[in-house]
Amino acid sequence: MVDPSETRGRESLEEIAVLALDFGRLLMEAGGSAGRVEQITSHVAFGLGAERVDLRVGYASLAVTIGIGPDAITRISKVGLLGVNQRLHHALCAAAARIERRTFTVGEAREEPDRIVRASPRHPDWVVALAVGVACAAFGRLLGADWTGVGPTFAAAALGQLVRRQLALQNVNVFISATVVGFLASTLCGLGSRWLGSHTVAMNMIATVLLLVPGVPLFNAQYDILEGHPTLGSARGVWAAMILLFATLGVWFALCLLGEGR
Amino acid sequence: MNIDLSILLHHTVCGGLAAAGFGVLFNVGFRRLPWCVASGALALAVRTVALGQDWSIEAASFAAALLLGAALRLFPAPGGVSRNALHVVGCIPMIPGGFAAKAILGLFAITRPHSVSTNEPLSTVIENTVRVMFTLCALGTGLAIPTLLLRVRRMK
Repeated sequence: MVDPSETRGRESLEEIAVLALDFGRLLMEAGGSAGRVEQITSHVAFGLGAERVDLRVGYASLAVTIGIGPDAITRISKVGLLGVNQRLHHALCAAAARIERRTFTVGEAREEPDRIVRASPRHPDWVVALAVGVACAAFGRLLGADWTGVGPTFAAAALGQLVRRQLALQNVNVFISATVVGFLASTLCGLGSRWLGSHTVAMNMIATVLLLVPGVPLFNAQYDILEGHPTLGSARGVWAAMILLFATLGVWFALCLLGEGR
Repeated sequence: MNIDLSILLHHTVCGGLAAAGFGVLFNVGFRRLPWCVASGALALAVRTVALGQDWSIEAASFAAALLLGAALRLFPAPGGVSRNALHVVGCIPMIPGGFAAKAILGLFAITRPHSVSTNEPLSTVIENTVRVMFTLCALGTGLAIPTLLLRVRRMK
């Protein structure tokens, strides 16, 4: 067992606050709910010697007040684009649990966020594209698409995921990206379905863009509201609704282009 | 019970495949993917059985989410993947994305010029929108109830 805060001065408070915020920010960006972010931030701060922790979880920022004895410090951190990364999420939770058991000094814990990010690899883009293709084809079947439409849905969704990834790497706005991917994927799916003689062309085109449905933000929005964070929950809900709107705009353009919307 | 087994099997397999696909998209490790498949398959199987009993899609989705949430709380979580992740990938195949798309497309159709009558598309839009809202609420609430109940028990 080590004394987590080597110095009880202002520097220690600053380091604890910055580290706790780092964990909270990374967890938010990996798709954590507000309740989970609060929990992890508190685990890190208490594990490093804080006696009081107050956190405000916002959509675009986190603010924490850390107190030890009569001293307290407040720090704020910007949160980046919210995504979903389960391996990173799990690694952060596991590290926070270790820190809470007071097995880390502040100095040792400082290395943890960078180490965790480096040690949480992502699947190769082509694997993700194939998986998304399979998921959308399965979705299509659940929505009532015929078997002929499975191939075009799979291929167009996989291509749409590759395009979405490239647009994300180029920092293209996510809403514009949703429209572009929605249009491209549903147009290709529509053309392929017609060529193969599918009887559910419009349904196949809709199934192709289900990869764009923001499932995790929609669930997190509800969790946040149920757990007492209505502001954050509402913000996530509005963001998810806007993504749906922009993605459907792309499908609508494609349906008009192929004359399927009439 | 009046359930077509081939439909049940088809929906269960499709639910498992969709959950696995989204598991990869959400960066769940390959060794944990069978858990994603199992959660998606369980959720879709329960929903299909409930729909076979003439339940509404909202009630069937609620029952499936509640059972999935309870199952994941009662049994020990597999290492390397969080329960919340399994909740989400399991329920993602039940997210009414198709209804949401139809609702928004219906809105576009209402504003189309030379529309003969706006009453029919409007009623369809309202029906689809309400269905999306209620199904999402049913899924979220069904998943949250076991978690919140367990938290209350721990706090006591």
